Amino acid sequence: MIDFTLIFRILVFPGFTFILLLTLFCDWIERKIEARIQNRVGPMVAGPAGILQPLADFIKLLTKEDITPRDAKKTIFKFAPLVAFTIMVFAFCFLPIDGTSVFSTSGFSGDLIVILAFATVANFLLFLAGWASCNPYGTIGSARVLTQFLGYDIPLFLIALTPAFIAGSVQIASIASLQAGTFLPFIVLAPWAFVLFVITMQAELEKDPFDVPHSESELVGGLETEFTGAKLAFLHLTRDVQVVFGSALVVELFLGGPYGPVFFGPSWIWYTLWFVLKVIAVVLISEYITTVVARFRIDQVLSGNWRILLPAALLSLMLTVALVTWVYPLVM
Amino acid sequence: MSNNKTDILNVVATKFGTKVQIQLGHLSTGTIIANNGLHRDVLKTMIDADEKTGITAITGLDLGANLGVYYHIRATNAFVTIKAEVPKENPKIQTIVDIHPGSLFHELEVADLLGVIFEGNPTSGHFVLSENWPEGIYPLRKDVKANQVKLVPTPASEKIKLPENERLVKIIIGPQHPALLEPEKFAVTVDGEIVTKVEPRIGYVHRGIEKATESRTYLQDVYLVERICGICNSIHACAFVEAVEKVGKIEIPPRAKYLRVIALELNRLHSHLLTLGHAGLEIGYETLFQYFWRDREPIMDLIELTSGNRVYSSLMTVGGVRRDIKESDIPTIKSVLEDLRGKLPFYRQIYENEPTLKLRMKNVGVLKREDALKLSVVGPVARGSGVDIDVRKDEPYEAYGEIPFKEIVYTEGDTWARMNVRMDEVEESINIIKYAIDHMPTGPFRIDVARSVPAGEAVNRVEAPRGELFYYVRSNGTDIPDRVKVRTPTFANIPSFLKTAIGESIADVPANFVSLDPCFSCTDR
Repeated sequence: MIDFTLIFRILVFPGFTFILLLTLFCDWIERKIEARIQNRVGPMVAGPAGILQPLADFIKLLTKEDITPRDAKKTIFKFAPLVAFTIMVFAFCFLPIDGTSVFSTSGFSGDLIVILAFATVANFLLFLAGWASCNPYGTIGSARVLTQFLGYDIPLFLIALTPAFIAGSVQIASIASLQAGTFLPFIVLAPWAFVLFVITMQAELEKDPFDVPHSESELVGGLETEFTGAKLAFLHLTRDVQVVFGSALVVELFLGGPYGPVFFGPSWIWYTLWFVLKVIAVVLISEYITTVVARFRIDQVLSGNWRILLPAALLSLMLTVALVTWVYPLVM
Repeated sequence: MSNNKTDILNVVATKFGTKVQIQLGHLSTGTIIANNGLHRDVLKTMIDADEKTGITAITGLDLGANLGVYYHIRATNAFVTIKAEVPKENPKIQTIVDIHPGSLFHELEVADLLGVIFEGNPTSGHFVLSENWPEGIYPLRKDVKANQVKLVPTPASEKIKLPENERLVKIIIGPQHPALLEPEKFAVTVDGEIVTKVEPRIGYVHRGIEKATESRTYLQDVYLVERICGICNSIHACAFVEAVEKVGKIEIPPRAKYLRVIALELNRLHSHLLTLGHAGLEIGYETLFQYFWRDREPIMDLIELTSGNRVYSSLMTVGGVRRDIKESDIPTIKSVLEDLRGKLPFYRQIYENEPTLKLRMKNVGVLKREDALKLSVVGPVARGSGVDIDVRKDEPYEAYGEIPFKEIVYTEGDTWARMNVRMDEVEESINIIKYAIDHMPTGPFRIDVARSVPAGEAVNRVEAPRGELFYYVRSNGTDIPDRVKVRTPTFANIPSFLKTAIGESIADVPANFVSLDPCFSCTDR
C-alpha cells in the first residue's frame, strides 16, 4: 500500500516545495533588507514588492545556454551542483518544521551529527564543482571554500554540541522540543553559544565578513566562474538553501524550534508559522552583519578561526558542561 | 637649501658652466639644453641637490631632421625642462632609468610612439601600441598618416605556457575583470595567496588623442582633450587651455579664474567620493560604496547646475569659461556643499573605527617615502606617503594662489592613508568652493581671443583629483597645434602599484590598486 501522506509530506509540505518556497522567500527578504540598509530599493518589478524576483532569476538562469568548458572534468562539473542541492534538501528533511520532521518521525539519536555531516558534504561538492571547472579563478575560489569550511566545521560542531549537552540528547527533534517544554530556549540558557554559533554560521555560509571564496574583486565569480545556465541556477539555489538551512539550524538549536504557543485550530499551522518567523529573524541578524562589515582576507579568516573561534568554542563547551553538571540541576 | 625657484638652476649652472645652455624662465622655471649623455649628469646633479626632484614626463617631438626628447623635471618649487635632441636616422639616447626608476614608463612610451631608442633600458616590446602594429612605424612622427598604417595580422595566440614552477599560478587581472572598470591587463603571478610578480600591459584603450590634436584646431582640441577622461574632464580641458593661454600670452579675466576653480573643485569632489566608495566595493564593504555614491549624486547635480552638463561640463575655453554662475543658484550650491560636509564626520568615523575596514586597509600596499620619491608618484598617492607635492601649492594656477587651503599629507603610506588624504581633501574642496563663491570678483568671464596662436611652446601643470596632470603644447603659429603632450597622473602612479603589490596577498591587490584611483582612459589617451 502506498503511503500518500508520506509522499505529500516529502514532495509538497513540509518537504520539497515548501523548502523551495521558503528558500526563495528568504532570498527575497535578504535582498530587500540589504537594499534598504544600503539606501536602495531592491527588487521591485516581479510580483508585489518584487517578491517573485528570486523565482524569476532562477527561471531565467534555467533558460540560459548551458556551457561546459572543454577542459572541465565533465561528470563532476555537471552533477556536483545538482547533488549538492539534493543533499541540502535531504538534510533539511530531518529538521522538525511543522512539529515533526518531513518523515513524520522524531528522527533518530545522533541525527544532529548526520545533518551537520550532510552540510559538510554539500560544501565539499561545491568545492569539487569549482575545482572541476579547471579555471584559475574557480580553482582558487574552491580552494578557499575548502580551507574555510575545514577550519570552521570544527568550531561549528563543537558549538552545536552545546545545546545537545544541555538537552542531554543529540537528536534534533528532542533538542527542539525540550526547549519548549522542560527548559527555556537555549538562547537564554547559553547566550554565548548562540552568538558564537551565529558567527560560525556566517563563516560556514560564506557571508560577509567571511565571503572570501566569492570576493568578486579578486576572483571574478570564484568557484562559479565557469558555470552557466541550469548548473549556475542550481549552484545559486544550493547557496540559498544553505542559508535557510543554517538559519533553521540556529532556530532548532537555540530558539526552540518550531514550537510556540498554539492559539486555535491545528497545531501544525502555528508551528510552521513560528518556524518561518524565527527563520526570518535569524536571516535578518545574519544579513545585518553582512551589510555593516567589510570582507576579511583569507589569512585573517583562518587565523580568526584557529586563534579565536576554536578556543572560544572549546571554552563554551567546557562552560556548558560545567553548568549542566553543577548549576542547572539546582535551578531547574 | 633655500627654496628659491632658480636655486636648482644655479646648481646646474655652477657645475656644468658653459657645457649646457640655460634659458631662465622659459617653460616654467627654466630650460636646460643638454644633449645625449650630458642629460644624465644634469639630472643626477639635480637629484643630488634636491631630494624632491622627480620626473613629470618625457615629451618626444618630431623636429624635422631631429627627434626632440624633453625631460620635464619637477623639484621643490621649480619646474625645469631638460632638452635633448637626437638625429632621426640614429635616434639613440642613454636611458635615465638607472638614475631615476620612475622614468621607466615615460621612456617606454616615447620609444613606442616616436621610435627613440633608450640605450640601457631593460624592457622591450610594445608598451602602448597593439601587438599587431607594424614594425618601424612610429605614429607621432609627422610623416605617418593614420590611413597609411597597415596593421599586420595578429600572430596566432600561443599555447598558454604554464609557469615553470608548479607552485605558481598566474592570475590575469584584466582587460575584463570586475575589479577593473576599464580595460588594462595585469598578469599577477601568485605563490599560494602571495603575489610574486606583476606584469602590466597598458594600451587597450589607446586612442591616439595626442596625434589627433595635431589635425584639429585649438578650439576643437579643447573638447577632444576633455574626452581623455570622463571623471576629471574639466581638469583636462583646463590644463590644455591654460597651456594655450601661456603660449599666446593671454591673460584671462579674474572672474574666469574663480569660475574655473569652482568647476575644478567640483570635479575633484565627485572624483574623490567615487574612489572612496569604490574602495569600499573592493574590500567587500558594499554598504559604504552605496552610501558614498548616494552622496556623490548631489555633486553631479551641481556640475549640471553650473555648467549645463552632468558629466562632460565643456565649461573651459581659451580665454575664460563659457558660462557664468547664476546669482540665484548660489544658495543651492552652498546648501548642497553644507549637506555633504555634514555627512563627512560619519564617514571619518567609519574609516577611523570600523575594525574590518582597518584590517583590510591599514598596512596594505605600503609605499615608503623614499620609494614614492624614487618612483615619482603624484597626487594623493605621494601625499599619503608623506611627500608634500600639490601643484595648487607648488605652482599656483588660476585663483589658487589667493585661496587659503590646507595641503593634506599623511605619512603612513598605506591604502588607508591614501584614502584618508582624499577624505580630507573633500573637506578642503568644499572650503575652496565656498571661499571662491564668496570672494568672486565681478566682471567678464571670458575674453575673445584669436583662433591662431603665435609660435611657441609652453608647459602646464594642474592638480587633477589623481595628482599632477601635465600638458605640453607647441604651436607653429597656425590655428592647429604642432604637438600636444599629455601626461596623466595614473600613468605616473602605476609603477608604485607594481612595487607595493609584491609580497602581499592577492586579496589585497584590488584594495591596494584602487587606492591609486586608477583611470585607464587617462593612462592610455
